Amino acid sequence: MKNLWSYLTGYDKILISILLLLSILGIFLPFFNPFRARVAEGTERVIIIQKGDEEEIRIALESTYGTEPLYVEVEGPIGTSIIEAYNGSVRIKEAPPADLEKTCVKTGWVQDVGPMIICIPNQISVWIEAEETGLDGVSW
Amino acid sequence: MGNTRKLVLIGLLVSLGLILHFVEAMLPVSMLVPGAKLGLANIVNLIALVIIGFKGGLLIFFLRVFLSSLFAGTFLSINFYLGLGGGLTAYLLMSAVYYFMKEKFSLIGVSVIGAVFHNLGQLLIAYLIISNPGIFYYLPYLTLVAIPTGIAVGLITYFTTGHLSVFTSGGNEDG
Repeated sequence: MKNLWSYLTGYDKILISILLLLSILGIFLPFFNPFRARVAEGTERVIIIQKGDEEEIRIALESTYGTEPLYVEVEGPIGTSIIEAYNGSVRIKEAPPADLEKTCVKTGWVQDVGPMIICIPNQISVWIEAEETGLDGVSW
Repeated sequence: MGNTRKLVLIGLLVSLGLILHFVEAMLPVSMLVPGAKLGLANIVNLIALVIIGFKGGLLIFFLRVFLSSLFAGTFLSINFYLGLGGGLTAYLLMSAVYYFMKEKFSLIGVSVIGAVFHNLGQLLIAYLIISNPGIFYYLPYLTLVAIPTGIAVGLITYFTTGHLSVFTSGGNEDG
């Protein structure tokens, strides 16, 4: 068995290195997003549920704290998806049976601005966004 | 290559692709990154590209996608369009690189390009359906998985086509 490197040409190595670098940059760049800093002050986090590209449901993240999780049922082209919001995180709890791969359920919980849960078969996307509350920061 | 020989080869590769597609569905890779796959069926596309050529490979690709979606019951569903879009983008780019930059990239490079552009094509189709640009948030995670799986597929194809040289050298033309 020869070394793996001996099978690669110079261009292969360049291609693989560039793709690796771009992927790693693409994963870490959202965490250095300048607008993330604004989340702390004068903003409120809101769960946004979008169906296709029109209908939107907005839930303040604050209202999900409590003893009981909050369930939202959203009707999509292939059935009903159940979205669960609890103590500041949100996930898709159940996808319709016609969605065989259930990728959105496997995505799991999202609790911050940045990641997004997408159910392509049922055309539903769920994410958390920071919104201006009108208050320029609260002093204490 | 004789006509009968080619027909048998296309049939064999289509059925091999279908089996690999189902084996792949049993492996829980998508638990690591949602939506990620090994891309084993791409082995068949690459082998076809090398030993039959562009047209034969394209035919095998379409037959495999149509048959596997018919068997799985996802024909003309969104999963079908995602697979078709991703696979077609990957195949066209792999053929272009294989034919025009053959001396620069090995089969491993060709396979990595195919794996990465499969994800890109798939996300573009998904973007057309869901029209939410946030979907591209997933792309770097998918490409990060696509690089090692692409290298593996490339190596497998490299070794397999080495043993299949009887097809590329023409063999006997009795068929």
